Amino acid sequence: MATSKLAAAARRNEFIANTIVVVLAIITLLPFLWFVVMSFKPADDIFAGIDGFFFKPTLENYTSLWSDRFASSMMNSFITSSVSTILALLIGTPGAYALSRATMKQERTMSLLILASRMAPPVAFAIPYFLVYRYMGLLDTRLGLIIVYLTFNLALVVWLMRNFFDGTPRALEEAAWIDGASLWKTFMVIVLPMSGPALVTTAILCFLYSWNDFFFALTLTRNNAMTAPVEVVNFMNYEGWEWGKIAAGGTLIMVPVLAFSLLMRKYLVAGMTAGAVKG
Amino acid sequence: MNSSKTGSNKTAVDTAVSAGVFRRDVLRVALAGSAMAAMGLRAPAVLAQTKQFSGTTLRIAAFQHIFHTYIQKLLPEFEEQTGMKVEFDLQAFPVYNQRMDLELSTHGSSYDVCNITHSFSGRWISAGWMTPFNDFLSDPNKTAADFNPDDFVSGTQVAYYNDKKELHGFAWEAGAMMMAASRFDILDKQGIAMPTTLAELTEVCKATHNKSGVSAFVVDRLHHWNFPPYLMGFGGKVFRDPPKDLMPVLDSPEAIEAATYYANLLSNYCPPGVLSYTDDQAMRNQLAGRANLRINAMSWLLPLAKSDDSKVKDTVRFALMPAGPKGSFPACNANAYGIPAGSKQKDAAWAFIQWATSKKTFEKTALEMGGLATPRRSIIEDPRYKQALTINGQDIAAMYLDVLERSGRDGYMAYRTVPVWPQAGEKINKAIERIASGQADAATSMKSAQAEAIEDIKKAGVKL
Repeated sequence: MATSKLAAAARRNEFIANTIVVVLAIITLLPFLWFVVMSFKPADDIFAGIDGFFFKPTLENYTSLWSDRFASSMMNSFITSSVSTILALLIGTPGAYALSRATMKQERTMSLLILASRMAPPVAFAIPYFLVYRYMGLLDTRLGLIIVYLTFNLALVVWLMRNFFDGTPRALEEAAWIDGASLWKTFMVIVLPMSGPALVTTAILCFLYSWNDFFFALTLTRNNAMTAPVEVVNFMNYEGWEWGKIAAGGTLIMVPVLAFSLLMRKYLVAGMTAGAVKG
Repeated sequence: MNSSKTGSNKTAVDTAVSAGVFRRDVLRVALAGSAMAAMGLRAPAVLAQTKQFSGTTLRIAAFQHIFHTYIQKLLPEFEEQTGMKVEFDLQAFPVYNQRMDLELSTHGSSYDVCNITHSFSGRWISAGWMTPFNDFLSDPNKTAADFNPDDFVSGTQVAYYNDKKELHGFAWEAGAMMMAASRFDILDKQGIAMPTTLAELTEVCKATHNKSGVSAFVVDRLHHWNFPPYLMGFGGKVFRDPPKDLMPVLDSPEAIEAATYYANLLSNYCPPGVLSYTDDQAMRNQLAGRANLRINAMSWLLPLAKSDDSKVKDTVRFALMPAGPKGSFPACNANAYGIPAGSKQKDAAWAFIQWATSKKTFEKTALEMGGLATPRRSIIEDPRYKQALTINGQDIAAMYLDVLERSGRDGYMAYRTVPVWPQAGEKINKAIERIASGQADAATSMKSAQAEAIEDIKKAGVKL
């Protein structure tokens, strides 16, 4: 009797918990859903209120995007985000490993210095970057954006990966050294293969930062290197906002990150919890 | 309507001189014109020499607007004539303003010509970031005899003078506030005419709201553009005496009365959710016939009669902004081409501006291509223009010219072109939202707006 009461209480609690999760998920996802639905609406139905609830879906907003310069801005976003993420991982991961394993007096100071680029708001860096880039001819270039994103992503990579390396046992590395492996070979053959989930998580976070950046792209580009988030704002014209295109552009911007995150979700969860428990 | 004829026969010189706004410039230009006439109306050297700018690449920055699309179509003839190559860098309005503010404030030379956005004109010009045109205008070798700066209606040009009365821009687009009823048939059925006063406007809204499922009024959330005409109509002001005295006066009894009136329109006679409406949303409500009256610039109202999406082409009617107890103050703005101070190709830039804002070019953009928000009087008074703007038997061109002249003559738009206008404008937006949403009464909200505006203006370095 007591057992069945406990089971009933457990079922009730589970039901309440599930209901709360579903409600929270709906509240969180509703704006996205509204946005996606809007991207398939004809212009007339976008602000039709209840009248616009039922509509004939159209791809017009998506097709008209590709006749504009949106495609090249997506390409700019993809190139600058990918290259800056790859470079940040290539440079930052060995750096994080070195910081994790080295015994230096100023190790904490050095770690804080690396984090300095994330301590101030982007606007504090925008004007210095703008002036230097103008002098160096890097304004409105993909290279210019890659350098900025790399600068900010490096700190993220170093700090995330360092925490991960701190939490991994050193016994395997020591065994490799006893077998005659060099430090570099140990890192490449033993440490990196274990770091998959953490690397994926870090890569996604770096890519997200670069992909979603608006401020630096707004300040440091014009037409040639303009990225997709800025291009979407370009549909907010003086003579009226092109809501359909804004929704379609926003939806397209979400798709790659969403797809990548879904594909890598197994690693993402593992990476999020990696290093949480030491030893 | 009758006032549309007021001063319509005056030239911009008469209007400007009578207002005492830029007397010396007008005289200087007039003298230069006379000198050129005495020289036998020869074309200036700079334009007479074909391909004088061969090898020059001119970079122009502006916000996306149909006028620039027209200009780009016409560019080959200009490039052929001058030999220069012209590159346009067009961005969305908010993006452009942000980028150009940074570019100009760092004395950049990336652009030779840029749009001077009306609400930024005070900031950009008074800071010395733009090039004065006076030397160009007084040099017959650089300015064509038939350019005729007096042809620009005064209201489109006042924002582009600094305190030394030096001109820094020529308008390529003008906005004149008026009122449109998308469903005049609803008023007509009840024997009601278009309202001419704010008191009548309230009565019309009361009588027609939610008749046939149509909201009586609609407005967008840009209250800093929409509200000041009501404010001035009740005798209030944004600043005490702009540009000399920038002390805000948003908590005056007149301002509180105006805010109460305006918020009442928003709360009681607009569609639900109006506080979040963009201008596009407000316009679409009218286009679909779901909202009736709206007061905005002509360019935002003309789609009611001209757009393929409009379901109200036959029922739309226009009128001037209704007058308050202290008069009618319809808003007017204009965006102009200017030359950044850092430009290294100023002669070429001036040649472009002359061409792009010449009567010939406006004839093509306004009369042939359909860009009707034009700043030149000779175009507005052209019979073809009048024909294009005669809508359902109404002469909209006359209303448009009246508003442009009135704002130039009376100078009441000065509040909008001072460098600290964005700070005050933002406070107006918030104050109106607080009142219309019931968060605060008008007196409390406007007093808060006043205090916040003073604080922000002081932060910007202005001594009050």
